[in-house]
Amino acid sequence: MARYGMVIDLNICIGCNACTMACKAEHATPPGIFFSKVLEKEVGKYPAARRIFLPVLCNHCSNPACMEVCPTGATSKRDDGIVLVDYDLCIGCRSCMEACPYGPRSFYKEQDTYYAEGKTPFEESKQDYPEGVVMKCNFCVDRVDQGLDPACVVTCPTECRIFGDLDDPHSKVSQIIAEKKARPLLPEKGLEPSVFYVGS
Amino acid sequence: MQPHFDEFLIDVKPQREWGWAVITYLFLGGAGAGLFLVSLYIQNRWGEGLGLLVLVLGTLFLLIDLGRPERFWRAFLRPRTSWISRGCFFISALVLLGGLEILSAQIPLENAWQVLIRGAAAVAAVAVMVYTGFVLSPSPAIPFWNSAFFPVIFFAYSLLAGIDFLILASPLLPGPEINLALLEKVQFGLVLLCLLMVLSHLSVMSGSAIAARKSIQLLTKGKWGTLFIGGVIGLGLVIPLLLAGPILWSSGFQAMFAVTVVLALLRLFGDYLFRFLVIRAGNYDPLL
Repeated sequence: MARYGMVIDLNICIGCNACTMACKAEHATPPGIFFSKVLEKEVGKYPAARRIFLPVLCNHCSNPACMEVCPTGATSKRDDGIVLVDYDLCIGCRSCMEACPYGPRSFYKEQDTYYAEGKTPFEESKQDYPEGVVMKCNFCVDRVDQGLDPACVVTCPTECRIFGDLDDPHSKVSQIIAEKKARPLLPEKGLEPSVFYVGS
Repeated sequence: MQPHFDEFLIDVKPQREWGWAVITYLFLGGAGAGLFLVSLYIQNRWGEGLGLLVLVLGTLFLLIDLGRPERFWRAFLRPRTSWISRGCFFISALVLLGGLEILSAQIPLENAWQVLIRGAAAVAAVAVMVYTGFVLSPSPAIPFWNSAFFPVIFFAYSLLAGIDFLILASPLLPGPEINLALLEKVQFGLVLLCLLMVLSHLSVMSGSAIAARKSIQLLTKGKWGTLFIGGVIGLGLVIPLLLAGPILWSSGFQAMFAVTVVLALLRLFGDYLFRFLVIRAGNYDPLL
């Protein structure tokens, strides 16, 4: 069984937020809710000031703190490592949000739409979740099950995101992690994330 | 120029998901269980009943905080891993056993059964007072909560609040007169324990992760400084110690109700504020 994961090369990311928009389009997330986003920060001083970017998403940890604290079993992990939220089971207690150090989860408190007229037909067809639940990235599980890469990966114009099987040493994602010494975020938390970053 | 990992130290981020409703539950839930436990000890069934009422009222705050309150029963499904789930069982056990304990005065039960029910209800009450500390302390995300002190602190504060509720309600409770002088002596010890534990927690956390140090900074010098130092430590713990200390062990001390009310209100104010500030001062570590 594969264990899916992702590596993101920060040296290549240009902060275009194409991944953010592709994710929005794929999941039709409500206003203010992002399963994938790009954090940015200004560093250095004029004339050497520049912006740096950190794309973030659910880390699909092997040892997910969110799953352990969930009182209902709404958060679960598939055999292939993808961590999912079952919106029919979630009670909206947000304990998962308090337990996860990566901050990729959002609480969909009440229905919100981009347009005063309500949801678009596209949103109507895509939004399969009720209000009052916690939402997050699911590695585009429907696409993955069809043998496709997640939307953020196929959209990235610089190919800074690579998705694949972490358990296969010959997969591109494993090779990049090994060659470029990619690291996960906050490894000291012991959650064994499946998202790795290449940085110098 | 290539980015360095260290440059991605995105700032410490405060937690904003749990607010006043959860904080009020922590206060009322702990106080209700504490009131039940101390009433059980002094065998005041009205106090026990009041304790259960306060606990149920607190639980209602927890319910209204849920995104899907109608699905609350699902929170019972994962006691093997989730402290929230375990807490649901503890609360239910306390309400059921406590109710049975109160009713056992009216129904003929063998003595062994009564002892068993009382013992089990006491264990459930202690579990309710302690488990909220375990809800917070395993958090890998918020280092300020990641402390072994919390279960002990929450137990001590819950008992403190329970006894304060008993002191305040004592004129209204039927039954034998409640020994306020004795209760005040217990409170003196509990306040000392709380003070010791809170200061120990801050001391340990001052050498912890950056987000925990930021929490301490918020509580001591930052925007919560006045409330924490003045409210939790000053009005809630130190002033009651200073007011009660000299008179408690003076010869022939008789607890004056007015004095005990003032002390109880100060301690309850500090207790609520402590829980409020602990939750609001929780910060997530930076990502890199």
